[in-house]
Amino acid sequence: MSGRIFLIIIVLILAGRIVLKRTPVGRNLKAARKTKSNQQPMSPTQKQIYTVLTFAKISILRYFRDRVAIFFTILFPLIFLVVFGSFSKSNDVSFHIGLVNQSQSQFSQKFVADTKSNKMFKIDKEVNDLTTAKAKMSRSEIDATVVLPPSFGEIEAGHPTGQAVIYYDQNNVSAAQTLQSVLQGQFEGINSKLVSTKAPFTVISRSTNTQGLSKLDYTVSGLIGFSIIGLGIFGPVNYFPLMKRQGVLRRLHITPLRVWQFFVASVLSNAVIGLFSIAIMIAVASSPLFHFKIIGNYFELAAFIAFGILTIFGIGLAIGGWAKNENQAAPLANIIVFPMLFLSGTFFPRFAMPEWLQHVTTFLPLTPIIDGIRMISTEGKHLTDIGPQIGLTALWAVIIYAIAFRVFRWE
Amino acid sequence: MAEFIVKVQDLHKSYGGREVVKGISFDVKKGETFGILGPNGAGKTTTLEMIETLRPIDKGTVTVDGVNVAHQSQRIRYMIGVQTQSTAFMDKVKLTELLEQQAAAYGERIDPMELLKQVNLESQASNYIENLSGGQKQRFSIAAALVHKPKVFFLDEPTTGLDPQARHRLWELIKKVRAQGMTVILTTHYMEEAEALCERVAIMDEGEIVALDSPKNLVRQLLDRGFKKERHVEQADLEDVFLDLTGKRLGN
Repeated sequence: MSGRIFLIIIVLILAGRIVLKRTPVGRNLKAARKTKSNQQPMSPTQKQIYTVLTFAKISILRYFRDRVAIFFTILFPLIFLVVFGSFSKSNDVSFHIGLVNQSQSQFSQKFVADTKSNKMFKIDKEVNDLTTAKAKMSRSEIDATVVLPPSFGEIEAGHPTGQAVIYYDQNNVSAAQTLQSVLQGQFEGINSKLVSTKAPFTVISRSTNTQGLSKLDYTVSGLIGFSIIGLGIFGPVNYFPLMKRQGVLRRLHITPLRVWQFFVASVLSNAVIGLFSIAIMIAVASSPLFHFKIIGNYFELAAFIAFGILTIFGIGLAIGGWAKNENQAAPLANIIVFPMLFLSGTFFPRFAMPEWLQHVTTFLPLTPIIDGIRMISTEGKHLTDIGPQIGLTALWAVIIYAIAFRVFRWE
Repeated sequence: MAEFIVKVQDLHKSYGGREVVKGISFDVKKGETFGILGPNGAGKTTTLEMIETLRPIDKGTVTVDGVNVAHQSQRIRYMIGVQTQSTAFMDKVKLTELLEQQAAAYGERIDPMELLKQVNLESQASNYIENLSGGQKQRFSIAAALVHKPKVFFLDEPTTGLDPQARHRLWELIKKVRAQGMTVILTTHYMEEAEALCERVAIMDEGEIVALDSPKNLVRQLLDRGFKKERHVEQADLEDVFLDLTGKRLGN
């Protein structure tokens, strides 16, 4: 549903462009707009707006002519989406185990067949004895090994008996425990058929049927964060020093163009390009391939993402605006980007981190942005519900732009 | 009575304790083409950059049309046009769009085609800057520097690295700009360029102006001091031959 909406938006934008550029109607419209505005001199405020819009327009045009930029900002995050999306697709836990059957009994054969058909287990086919099993466990290729001893399944007192042994190494204690309780359950089912006893206490689990957050929900909001960083930091960090070295910015320095006008135009174009590439990503994520679902309001989501782009782009603007050349910019950008890339919840959800690290990473600039995007898109929250995220992002924006304005140099 | 549009008084600039401009003074008349000549490192570019508001002035005053450069740099920027040494522009942007953007920096809306016609580049209007030849880039960057019709036009070594034909074409263009009433100030280290274009030249060496007059007067003064060129001067030289053989299409 949501995917369709985004696709429609994109098609409309492209169609609009074609109509404006290629048809007589569009050309006339453009000409009319031009002559009309030429007749009336612009007021100083209009002039300033015109300056900003023209700069923004041209840098957007430039972007869509740059195949390398399109690859890195649109295709690259999509590749990540495909990779991470397929990881997080299957929700069921499965164990890689070795199964060593030393028994010849009929019961043990049946037990092996049952275990193989159990979706919770992936049985390593190469494991036939305990030695290979141990070697594989030490390399963490399998989580644990179940051994059915020779006596397993022998008939005693009218029914088969036996004890399976779980081998595990110290790295996989919890996996072994889970495995044990799973097998326990399997055995209890068998036991109750063999000996009819009524257990006084039992426990069963029932699904509540409410939509919780899947791994994909974290993946998509994280990848939007990744996209924002790629476009907002790596773009200007490469491009600004290059423009300085070539003297392109110097030519602007000679003009009355103000730094703030240059900044606003850059932010505007970056926001448009960013929203465009993120819309494509969401459209792909919402396709039947991934089943990502946006519950929240699209406009609120777009507004919050634009705000996030503004904030993060400030970092790129500060580094690229400060650096005299690429060699100066790249290391600094890496130092700032990498902690955010791994600790803000881009690739790994933050809830999986140790508690102290969660506390620290709460305050990274990208964290409230990713959290906010997730809360709006998949939890259906409104902008009014995510005050802390907006507040923290705004605080960062103020700090970042104060620095960016201070350190900017034209050449 | 000539009116001075640019006045430079006792201008100083040091980098890291080394003085590169040592208290120079000169005035430029309205509507003239003024050349600053000198070897590399003489301080030409630094002097120009101080007048253009690109570098802070250590000591001394510069006024353009009565406006103090140090105090009202923003006003100065509307009055001057600058052709920088680098001809680089943003890539993947059409010439018309580049001009539109350059004019927008001054808050002005222009007709890019008209400007491109002036520099004979209307056929390249939809081309990107990176696909132009060196001479075309130079001409385009002149067009870009003139989008706002400045009063004073600065050119920093405009013909360095150009072949003779492109150079002559550029000279024609600079003369055309001058004919529109603009004051032109240029730096060069080609003497024949100064002779071809400039009414007056200042010769700089090691941060000081060592001579300031019209090219003709400077030559006469040298001859008056008893200078004789040792080599017999031919009626034509190799450049004339080159231009005669290849320059038939000059100006096309």
